[in-house]
Amino acid sequence: MADWDELAEALADYTVSCNENERLRKMQRDWTRVLHFECSDSGVRFTMDVERGEILATPVGHVGTPDIVVTTHSETFCDMFWGDLNPVQKYLRGEITVQGSQEDVMRLDAISAVIWPDA
Amino acid sequence: MANGGGAPAPTASTLRRSVTTATATATSAGLAFAAIDYLGVVSVLAYAPGATAALAILIGGLMVVLVAGIFAELNGLYPTAAGIRLYLGRAVGNRTAMSVTFTYMATVVLVIAADAFLIGAAIRHVLHEPAVLAYLWIAVLLGIALAANLRGIRMAGWVQTFVTYTVLTGTAVLSVVAIFHHGRAFHQPFDIFGKGAFSGIQAIAFALFLYAAFEWVTTTAEEARTPRVITRALFIAPFLIWLVSTLFALALAHLVPFPVLHHSAYPQLLMGKAALGTIGELWMLALTVLTALNTFNGGFLVASRFIYAAARENTLPRQFAKLNLNAVPWLAVCVLAGVSAVVAALVFATGQWLLLVAVGAAIESAIYAIGSVCLLVLRRRDTRERPFRLIAARPLATFGAVLFTIMFLATGLSDPKNPSHLSVVPLGVIVVLGAVSIGYVLLCVPRLQAAAAARAATSRPKRRPQRTAESGGGGPTSTGPVRTPPSPPSGPMAGT
Repeated sequence: MADWDELAEALADYTVSCNENERLRKMQRDWTRVLHFECSDSGVRFTMDVERGEILATPVGHVGTPDIVVTTHSETFCDMFWGDLNPVQKYLRGEITVQGSQEDVMRLDAISAVIWPDA
Repeated sequence: MANGGGAPAPTASTLRRSVTTATATATSAGLAFAAIDYLGVVSVLAYAPGATAALAILIGGLMVVLVAGIFAELNGLYPTAAGIRLYLGRAVGNRTAMSVTFTYMATVVLVIAADAFLIGAAIRHVLHEPAVLAYLWIAVLLGIALAANLRGIRMAGWVQTFVTYTVLTGTAVLSVVAIFHHGRAFHQPFDIFGKGAFSGIQAIAFALFLYAAFEWVTTTAEEARTPRVITRALFIAPFLIWLVSTLFALALAHLVPFPVLHHSAYPQLLMGKAALGTIGELWMLALTVLTALNTFNGGFLVASRFIYAAARENTLPRQFAKLNLNAVPWLAVCVLAGVSAVVAALVFATGQWLLLVAVGAAIESAIYAIGSVCLLVLRRRDTRERPFRLIAARPLATFGAVLFTIMFLATGLSDPKNPSHLSVVPLGVIVVLGAVSIGYVLLCVPRLQAAAAARAATSRPKRRPQRTAESGGGGPTSTGPVRTPPSPPSGPMAGT
């Protein structure tokens, strides 16, 4: 089980990778969403605020009304944000559950697909 | 952790945008009621002439209530867009799930191709153009669908709802007008087995096809406000389809002689013309074109995203996961449009549009039988609470597995062009599709996954830093290595 420090470190790396990727920013230029994340094992919750493809903040706790809610184990979140696992594989096994439109779910995966194509 | 094999319990957050019962019902009915359904009614009439078609459609509808119950429970257990893949995987293993899902997705291509052909033929007919121009219209329609999908243009939920209810209401209203016209009387409406026992079963099996794909609404489970929204849609949508299909079948039987219907790719236009002349014909043409919005929007979206997900999990070549600047898997969309164009061309060249109906009907029956088996297995393996539990699930699911297998054979061995004969062609097409899927899953998928694992191992070392007691802060779990083992090379196939 990963604690918030580990998650925050992974999120910081993920934020830099996303925001510095020009192709991704262009692809997500019309994507403004509030994402809620919940660790099913530790109960840790955090939010990702995305505006026109740029990750603005990743505060602890749930802030605002979400467009997408992602639930999985804290370890899975850490590996996902470090790009060490392919989220689609976990999703298709039912180990990551998502609430949100199919389009938003795909956009979220597209981030990993673009910044870590070999994951 | 739930006992369903590691699935975390979803939270009960309220989403900013979520699907309501009305939208989910429209999605379900819209996915089911495509232009090919007008031909589906003709196939029912081929085996159950006149008013007996209405009885076949009613019996088919009652069977669909069982299907709705089965899928409502499975959807409550796994409320995800990857639903059928997931519960198949949990029930019968991932390789089988993958083979079935690939075959199932082939029906999406068939429906897109069939609709492109039927709409092209209908436009050509109304414009009194030479037959050869039908394919031009097919190419134009698929080209528009391709361009819209590549640009990431989606129909808004309310537009989809409006289109679906317009198509259903428009068809129902014109059918009622037609029924009140002077026409043939409805003789012996309950004599469904008048052409023989097997013909009656085939009529019911084709009636089942009219509802086909209504269960795809489960792919929107993640957007639903509550799981009950999808459950309600699964039960309400078949009622709407039953009502409209029954009225349309009665109108056709009342006004248009069957020999005329039987050789036509646009029975709805014939009914419209017989009921209200040119206005009726244009009315039905408009509705036919509107069905394309649902088919091309929903069909392309479902199939291309399936291809994308399969490529991302390394079960299809990874080129299919390439995204354009509109975040659209462009190769998946292009291949889908290309294959649909080829299938539509084959249908155009051979005139075998009723074969598509038979193949689609048989595959759907098989899916319903497999869904019944999944429920039986998952009642035993996964004892979690579900938002919906089918009453008497074990006997009903067993009954469903047997019943829908019979329906599969009844449509798979049919020849709607010549109802008095049996044909193995539809079954043969399905066997070929199934064999290709199984062969692909057994031979190609392991290679793709091995290649992906090798690629990841050589070009991409783990990025997550190792945590130790000294560096990990005070968290109780930060002592010792926390890195999870790398994904197995065979990915989701590992559990099979």
